[in-house]
Amino acid sequence: MIEARRTQLSPIARLGDATLRALGETGAMFLFLLESFGRIFRAWGQFPKIVRQIYFIGVKSITVITLISLFTGMVIGLQMYYALAKFGADGFLGAAVSLSLVRELGPVLTAIMITGRAGSSMTAEIGVMRISEQVDALQVMDINPLGYLVSPKLAASIICFPILTAFFDLVGMLGGYLTGVLLLGGNSGVYWYRVSAYLKMSDISGGFIKSLVFGIVVCTVCCYMGYYTHLRRDSVGPEAVSQATTSAVVTSCVLILLTDYVLTSLLF
Amino acid sequence: MTQANTQDIRLEGLTVGYGTHAVVSDINAVLPGGKISVILGGSGCGKSTLLKHILRLHPVLAGRIEIDGHDLAALDRRGMHCLRQRMGVLFQDGALLGSLTLGDNVALPLREHTKLSDTAIRERVLAKLALVGLADFYDYYPNELSGGMRKRAGLARAMVMDPPLLFCDEPTSGLDPVTAAELDQLLLELKKSFDMTLVVVSHDLDSMRTIADHVLVLGSGRVLFEGPIAELEATQDDYLRRFLDRQAASRSTPRLTMPPLDSKMMKRDCAGYQGE
Repeated sequence: MIEARRTQLSPIARLGDATLRALGETGAMFLFLLESFGRIFRAWGQFPKIVRQIYFIGVKSITVITLISLFTGMVIGLQMYYALAKFGADGFLGAAVSLSLVRELGPVLTAIMITGRAGSSMTAEIGVMRISEQVDALQVMDINPLGYLVSPKLAASIICFPILTAFFDLVGMLGGYLTGVLLLGGNSGVYWYRVSAYLKMSDISGGFIKSLVFGIVVCTVCCYMGYYTHLRRDSVGPEAVSQATTSAVVTSCVLILLTDYVLTSLLF
Repeated sequence: MTQANTQDIRLEGLTVGYGTHAVVSDINAVLPGGKISVILGGSGCGKSTLLKHILRLHPVLAGRIEIDGHDLAALDRRGMHCLRQRMGVLFQDGALLGSLTLGDNVALPLREHTKLSDTAIRERVLAKLALVGLADFYDYYPNELSGGMRKRAGLARAMVMDPPLLFCDEPTSGLDPVTAAELDQLLLELKKSFDMTLVVVSHDLDSMRTIADHVLVLGSGRVLFEGPIAELEATQDDYLRRFLDRQAASRSTPRLTMPPLDSKMMKRDCAGYQGE
């Protein structure tokens, strides 16, 4: 009935309707985040769950992060070397690689990779628990589902995202060194000197803040989509879980880039 | 004058449903304390919906629910916390957490709500698992068990806090007759031994006849009957009689006028594989 009425609305009214729904959803997501965050500190019982999530989100992502960061660094090294060599500035390769990785590519690509690897599984796990009444079971046992399911994931994301980003930056710089110095014959000492001379503390802290915010955004969106799988209007049951997972990954990626723009304009 | 039992579950002018859509309207009933009440009805009549509203998993559309003398809508967070610790719930498929072993699943409420030591928790969990015949499966994961075993494990978890109120959603559906009968006996024993109040949602007539003291029949979005089992068995109401006697509705069945599918219409030729 409501859907039928919605299709009868004029385009402007539909736009307004969609905007109101998006605002409502954003507000609900923010409250979801606040309650989940508050419950991280409620009980010592959370600690083992947080450690398990750190293993799942952090440790198990190391392989993929290593591969992506190494090749990203190698490609930047290759592209930048030729571009800088045209102006006789190939000695600045270390500065160019490190700055682009630490300020921009490290936090963004790490967040996108973790969204694909761990975020999607957060949504699917909570979604399946929702449709198989496991979330209801927690509620009737008087165990807060947000505290039990979402808070440990949120805490682990806050811890893992910055560490994985730092790891990405480091391996990426090594990738740039591989192509720029070992493959194309740039000077090794100059490469590392430029890295240390041009990389400021504000660049590192800016990347750290970005990764922290991305961690919170990704975990909140992915857990929220899974938690409310049963309220989806486009599908039910297992199909709803798959739709929720797709929506979570797409929404997270869009929000990572949007937040990145806002943070870059504020931080640097 | 008879005094109301505090364990009674009272439903007054209750309408349950989702969003603005009412599934069952104007329910007035008392599910008596210390007895087994069965909520009966055909598939999709709103039995499980009513149960989920009684458990306050969804907000009611109208009316009130009173459990243990408390109006559910008026209970604050702490009140609800205390009430939920007096309730056990067996969900349709057990709803065991897939990432935990059977032992950890049953131990979960004890770990979250009590100060018991790990040894004491293990002892209690093993006792409850033994009650449902699963003591040897402590370290098994739910996906390693059959549907019947998962249900029994769900019952052990529902019982682990020794609640005076037990709610069961379709406890015998999907079980073979022997296992279903065993589960019925277990529910009867629980009521007798622990003086529990049980509310069982079911469409299994055999099970209902074995365990029920009190019956609430739902259909067509309303309550069709509420009362003792003997009164239901004696009813002369057409619909209820048909339901109890397992008779199909007397609507005319459309004739099968369509000829059977011709094998020539099949995309793949299976002529060589057909029987003589």
